[in-house]
Amino acid sequence: MTATAPSTRSRPRALTFGNVWLSVALVAILFIYPFVFGKAMNFGISTLLFAGFAMSWNILGGWAGQTSLGHAALLGIGAYSMTLLATPERLPPFLTSPLAPWWGALIGMVIAVAVAAVWGWLTFRLQGSYFALSSIAVALVIRLVVINSNWTGGAEGLFMPDLPKFFGFDLFDRETEYWLAFGFVVLTLVITHLIRRSRMGYALQAVREDEDGARALGIDPARMKLLAFMLSAALMALGGSLYALYLQAFEPHTILELPLSIQIALLAIIGGRTTIQGPLVGALVLSIFGEVFRNVFSNANLLIYGVLILLVTLFAPQGIMGLFNRAGSKLGTAR
Amino acid sequence: MTAPTQFPELTPLPGQPVHAPSGPPILKAENITVRFGGVVAVGDISLAVRPGEILGLIGPNGAGKTTLFNALTGFVTPSGGRVTYNGRDITNMQPQARAKLGMARTFQVERPFEDLSVLENVLVAAFLKYRGTKAEDHAYAVLERVGLADRATQPAAQLNLARRRRLELAKVLALEPKVLFLDESIAGLNPPGQQEMVALIRTLAHSGLAIVMVEHIMHVIMSLSDHVICMAFGELLAEGDPHEVAAHPDVIRAYLGDDND
Repeated sequence: MTATAPSTRSRPRALTFGNVWLSVALVAILFIYPFVFGKAMNFGISTLLFAGFAMSWNILGGWAGQTSLGHAALLGIGAYSMTLLATPERLPPFLTSPLAPWWGALIGMVIAVAVAAVWGWLTFRLQGSYFALSSIAVALVIRLVVINSNWTGGAEGLFMPDLPKFFGFDLFDRETEYWLAFGFVVLTLVITHLIRRSRMGYALQAVREDEDGARALGIDPARMKLLAFMLSAALMALGGSLYALYLQAFEPHTILELPLSIQIALLAIIGGRTTIQGPLVGALVLSIFGEVFRNVFSNANLLIYGVLILLVTLFAPQGIMGLFNRAGSKLGTAR
Repeated sequence: MTAPTQFPELTPLPGQPVHAPSGPPILKAENITVRFGGVVAVGDISLAVRPGEILGLIGPNGAGKTTLFNALTGFVTPSGGRVTYNGRDITNMQPQARAKLGMARTFQVERPFEDLSVLENVLVAAFLKYRGTKAEDHAYAVLERVGLADRATQPAAQLNLARRRRLELAKVLALEPKVLFLDESIAGLNPPGQQEMVALIRTLAHSGLAIVMVEHIMHVIMSLSDHVICMAFGELLAEGDPHEVAAHPDVIRAYLGDDND
């Protein structure tokens, strides 16, 4: 090796963070948004939250290759924990003081990780589409429990009560919420870049491509998928608690239902699940198109939205980012 | 018509077979049986391999060689028998745990991670023993060793067959194994490719690796190994020196068919 020492400097690298500049550019756009479109904060917040959800989903769905159609349940765990812990009168008597926002979000994350651990332990023996199917079932069970319990507000859902100031910021102020959602997206993006450069990231990609091939190289597929799921769940719950702040009132049939799970998965898949920024790009593009179509085509907007999804899945199976990569640019490739 | 008495393809490859050293075996399999339903895929096979030894596993298609391989490497749980590694019973150990112990295998149909580059493929394996940039350095050094360094950034999906085989080998070598299982690493390569691979395998054995290789090209085995096991229909047909095994009437019948066929 000493003889080839000079070549080691110029030799190809595999351990990189990926295309950091593309992420910086995207984050810069999100940073500027409130200064330019200060009147359209609701659109900005929901776009950011869904971008963060798609990024969180993609740790399991993209990196580990396990398509989950039940991630709304994890989001819901975050939203319900945040709201319930702010209203201790609904909870057992030993909880006398409200725990939200501080502990509400963290406890929601812990519960989501625990649920994901059991859920993954039960379902990761199944390969291929069985996991996707079982994820629908598990999410359905969680939804049924919530609807049929009194302490969760049942089918009527919950209201977020007044919350104390958070570092002096009013949590119901749209600008504060925008920056919280912005922080959430940046967090998911940073974590994805870290995964990209890590042993875990390569193990996950190996598992995604060929489980037996990965096992032959000393990788435990079930363990890696479980790790990805738990990380994904923690981030989903964190986003869910922010979503609860944004919505202020929510019902189980909006926050725990299959369509929300599918929407989150679609954002990531259409953006490009094997890429770092794909889910973020997917969320931005689809939110903007959705908004434009609703204004221009009114009732036909869902039809056009559907056709767009169909076109992307047919002609760009690697998603929007895959189109960029195929066009020869190295934008944001996960490799 | 008389029964064929000689093997047709005996063109020798250059180089001497590796002679098995004495000493205790690193891997030992006793009376391995694998049943799939009522079918006995592997019936009562025993073998042992020492560090620095090349053990050849030959037999016609469908003889159960790959199934035996899967049983030895943990991808199939044997219905009977025992596998020990350095005296430790590993019969029911998962493949990923065996890889950590020092056992590595290639697959008959080579399976690179196609979305990853050549270097990244090897890096996945290098992470077993190394962390961070050390793993990357190690992966690149292995690529240099198998002659794939100039392809490091190429997507694995673009490699031709010979290079895919070398990539498979690079991946298992990056695990720094003590026992190497090669499942038909040479069949299908052109003659220069075969020679390169044979030379590489010989070097590995000289460096102290125990190698078990499935191969059905006789002259390849003969140029590498002085101890082969021949299987047919899951059963042991003959064992010993490859030339004697090749001359064994049962072996010739298994490969070339009966008089009555």
